[in-house]
Amino acid sequence: MATLLVTDPIFLEHLVLPGQPERPDRLRAIAQSLAEEPFDALVRKGAVAADEDALMLAHDEDYVALIRDAAPTEGFVRLDPDTAMMSKTWTVARHAAGSAMLAVDDVLSGSVKNAFVAARPPGHHAERDRAMGFCFFNNAAIAARHAQRSHGIRRVAIVDWDVHHGNGTQAIFYEDPTVLYASTHQMPLYPGTGAESERGVGNIFNAPLPPGADGAAFRTAFSRKVIPAVDAFQPELVIVSAGFDAHWRDPLASLKLKEEDFAWATVEVLALAERHAGGRVVSLLEGGYDLTGLADSVAAHVGELMKA
Amino acid sequence: MPDLVPVETLTFEKALAELEQIVGRLERGDVPLAESIAIYERGEALKNHCAKLLGEAEARVEKIRLNADGRATGTEPLDVP
Repeated sequence: MATLLVTDPIFLEHLVLPGQPERPDRLRAIAQSLAEEPFDALVRKGAVAADEDALMLAHDEDYVALIRDAAPTEGFVRLDPDTAMMSKTWTVARHAAGSAMLAVDDVLSGSVKNAFVAARPPGHHAERDRAMGFCFFNNAAIAARHAQRSHGIRRVAIVDWDVHHGNGTQAIFYEDPTVLYASTHQMPLYPGTGAESERGVGNIFNAPLPPGADGAAFRTAFSRKVIPAVDAFQPELVIVSAGFDAHWRDPLASLKLKEEDFAWATVEVLALAERHAGGRVVSLLEGGYDLTGLADSVAAHVGELMKA
Repeated sequence: MPDLVPVETLTFEKALAELEQIVGRLERGDVPLAESIAIYERGEALKNHCAKLLGEAEARVEKIRLNADGRATGTEPLDVP
């Protein structure tokens, strides 16, 4: 059965201040890579916007209104040192969340086996009431809640291999035993959360990696911490917060993963989903700031999704 | 990151003070994502510089002790069975 790719030119329209690494070129690099012949078999769909009720699956009503009303007609409004809004941000961010929901819909309806959403802005740093770290709405959290509310899914596992800890996702589900959050990330590094001692209600699993850790160290941590946790949880859907900034080329971190390490992790996640969730995997782009490392890693990741 | 003084030119006191400032920022979580790695690497360089200066100071102390002693007893291999 097929793999769905959700992406859209609208994601190029959220512009950022000069020098900011989370930039439209990231999606141009991915689009170029996934236009190659090996990806012809992908089912491709454009983005859809999440409405405000959907955003409130993971965010406070006041926060959604704040973001809606903060969008300037011209120029930029900074929400934190990394995170600025311009005229299109509100619309584009709603399309990123809506595309994650669309991917959940298509995977859970069985029309595709799994899905990758190449969208921006990313989501995993966004908390219930706070934009930070390039993120406005927590796409993974909204997708998980959508699966539960609209599809009757009970247990959702979110696996996050972005090199930064997904503080937002962890915080949103910190007291929710129906959602498991398991993360590998460099520590110390932004945002500072993600210690092993942060365990939620037994549903949070953090596997911090020291600066300079390579693919072997990543695989060991993933095998020892993430895989057993997800196996024990027996999710009905697996969502991946797929950041590719643990790549050795990435300028924002110092881990040393290669494309084949992301391919390996993808195979492991697919096997987990096969054991518990009928193979259902929805993967959402988070970070990844070296254009070559990002494009090559996404190609390796999506290539494995297509083999499932 | 603003223009920074090269780590190797800093005195121990200045390097330690900057390191403490960095640790404080990391602990408070007020480091931007885009700068986090640069700040971490600066902290690592400061830590290594402090460790190097401490090591050199220790070596000097050792030398003084040995000179005062008149004999190199401190570096003689221990005659342990």
